[in-house]
Amino acid sequence: MSSRRPNFFYHLHPPFIPEREARFRYTFGLGGISAFLFLILAITGVLLTFFYVPTPEEAFPSLEIITFQVPFGWLMRHLHYWAAQAMVVAVVLHLLRVVFTGAYKPPRRFNTLIGLALLVITLLLNFTGYVLRWDEGTHWALVVGTHLVRETPLIGDALYYMVVGGPDPGPATAIRFYAWHILGLAVPAFLLIGWHVFRVRRDGGISHRPRDHDRAPRLPRARLVQTETLAMLVVLAALILLSILIPAPLGARADLPARPDKAQAPWFFLWIQALLRFLPPVWAGVLIPLGLLLLLALIPYAIDRSATGVAEWFNRQGRLAQVVVVLMFSGIVILTLIEMGQ
Amino acid sequence: MNPDRRLVSAALLLLAVVALAVARELRSPTPKTLTPTLTGKPELCLTCHDGLEEISPSHPLATFGCVRCHGGNALALDKPLAHAGLRGGRNPSDFSVVEASCGGSDCHSGSAEAQRDHIHRAMTSVQATYAGAIAQVRRAFGAQPDAIARFGVFAIRDDRVVSARAVPELAPFDPVALGDPQPVRAFAANCLHCHLSAQPLMQPYYYRGTGCAACHVLYGSDGLSRSGDPAISKTEPGHPVAHRLTTAIPYTTCNACHSRGNYSLRQMAFLPRPDLPLSGAPLPEDRLRDIYQPIGQFTRCEWELDCIDCHTSTEAMGDGDLYSSKLDIQYIQCKTCHGTLTEPPRTATITDPNDVELRRARLNGRYMLQVGDTVVLTERGEKLGAVRFVDGKFLQTLKVSGQVLEVPLVTGSACQQKPDEQASRYCHACHAYTHP
Repeated sequence: MSSRRPNFFYHLHPPFIPEREARFRYTFGLGGISAFLFLILAITGVLLTFFYVPTPEEAFPSLEIITFQVPFGWLMRHLHYWAAQAMVVAVVLHLLRVVFTGAYKPPRRFNTLIGLALLVITLLLNFTGYVLRWDEGTHWALVVGTHLVRETPLIGDALYYMVVGGPDPGPATAIRFYAWHILGLAVPAFLLIGWHVFRVRRDGGISHRPRDHDRAPRLPRARLVQTETLAMLVVLAALILLSILIPAPLGARADLPARPDKAQAPWFFLWIQALLRFLPPVWAGVLIPLGLLLLLALIPYAIDRSATGVAEWFNRQGRLAQVVVVLMFSGIVILTLIEMGQ
Repeated sequence: MNPDRRLVSAALLLLAVVALAVARELRSPTPKTLTPTLTGKPELCLTCHDGLEEISPSHPLATFGCVRCHGGNALALDKPLAHAGLRGGRNPSDFSVVEASCGGSDCHSGSAEAQRDHIHRAMTSVQATYAGAIAQVRRAFGAQPDAIARFGVFAIRDDRVVSARAVPELAPFDPVALGDPQPVRAFAANCLHCHLSAQPLMQPYYYRGTGCAACHVLYGSDGLSRSGDPAISKTEPGHPVAHRLTTAIPYTTCNACHSRGNYSLRQMAFLPRPDLPLSGAPLPEDRLRDIYQPIGQFTRCEWELDCIDCHTSTEAMGDGDLYSSKLDIQYIQCKTCHGTLTEPPRTATITDPNDVELRRARLNGRYMLQVGDTVVLTERGEKLGAVRFVDGKFLQTLKVSGQVLEVPLVTGSACQQKPDEQASRYCHACHAYTHP
């Protein structure tokens, strides 16, 4: 592949990258790793669709067939699971890195919004995928989770019917979650990731000190590809090892509407489950999560409108934004720990 | 490390991990699939349980498979997941789950007329409710004025009361909530070991199942499995001898409850017998000496026959009514088979090819019966298919061993029994073998 031939991917992949900002301890490779995890999820996900049957009766047995009978089916399922969990972690850490290094500042304000949309989509992808297991562990998601949707002011009922497909979870629910998971979330995520990466290039490449731009040492594309390959090899090896050592969870088949002894939210929504202990559902499940999202979206537009301090860890201009994010995530972590201790 | 060497190292790492994944894939067992005709859904249970005996000829594996009765996850090859949701753990006939496992109008929750109401009969029987003992103890300690049953080990009602002696329902026995006196509470805490829902003592000679399996699945005195299933431990006690339902129930199974010790009303405790032979030893030559409690006298039929050779399934499993005492449902008498001084045993000839006794004979498998055979009739008018009238003689086929014995008749013998004195103690006056 000659670098002189025009190639669509060059819109996404820069020919040079500033040496300082290419250091691992600046980005930790989190954005790239997230994109690579999405690639693994897409490939394993497509393979899983050949065997998964999205009906309440067949979903669970088809997972058993994938796990125990399809050659390497277990590896596909466990990889899909672990890549999904890793993606939630990577995307959140990526967001923290962006805030702490001021990478959200102009001209990257709009791309921050795309990134936030991707965060929401990642969580919803994980949530819908979790429901598709259709085992007893999905009870919270199916019953509590969907009822939280109903609490949304004005459009709650409409949203609930859109997601659940009827007054109670049933055959329509399985196919709707399946459709949402793939067509309603994964496909938009793919497009948004493309846009997000394209905007990185459009906005002048990876966030960096503006004054250094022309004369700062730069690394050629070949070195970047080398680093990316290294990251991909290590991440893939780690995921396969995890898949061998710790299988993706699968409990007994869901027996709706019977409630299992312990109905628990997926780990990334445990903080919402904890909030539900203290607050009415509309606050815990709808208004607070949306409020936090709005707060994050306001960071580049209201909380820190400065254009300086980009590419500086914990830059002084962005102190308020950093404090907001630290408080927000500390709260989420504390609530999660409280709920895990229940 | 230079970038190339790092890349090579990472690639080698990935290769190593992929090799591990391939090794795991190759190690996973080859699934053995069974698709029972009743459900039409494939099951992989035999991947691990290959060699397990068919539960009974009435439940062919090819028809029923495993999951119809046991529940669990048919397609999982991971033990905890495959066994998640098993009904009643190892025993789907436990009364807590029996309706889902064995019930259904085509199975064992059918009509009383067709003798298909096995679950209802077993669950209303005094062996299941323990209502008799509860009523007696409550009366003895002043908690109720009479011995009429009000409570059972679980709540149960009978919508079709037939007998005048029966009660329509039993409430769950909770002496604390009832404010019963202390001895009754101690009885509830210490003495409810022997009903069909109680977990057995995990000791030699006490091993048994619960629910239907308490009687219909046999355990060794050592509680060890002799099953052909490689997945079942052969050294861990608490397993039945084999995965096998039977109506040829030997006295040893009854003895798991009925000859294992005594209830001391003074201590309100169950006192297990200290004098049983070593478990695992072959069955004793002298059943009377080795197994029977050294308290009484026994006629030969009491220690040479099996319990079910005299006691009918109606006596053991009940007739669907809720009784206050086992005496309300015990009706077999000595004269049923031996006749009286003036009359031979009552008999009837089987004419209906659908006679339930033909089904019982087929299920038992030890005695043959066909239309045209003449058999003894019980006091309730049931046919005792194992005691046939052939060429002027009464021949009894033992339901466990298949041995055929001629029944001696009172008529023409020196016996002076009176028709209204049929309890065993009257026979013991002449026919007693005292425990050595």
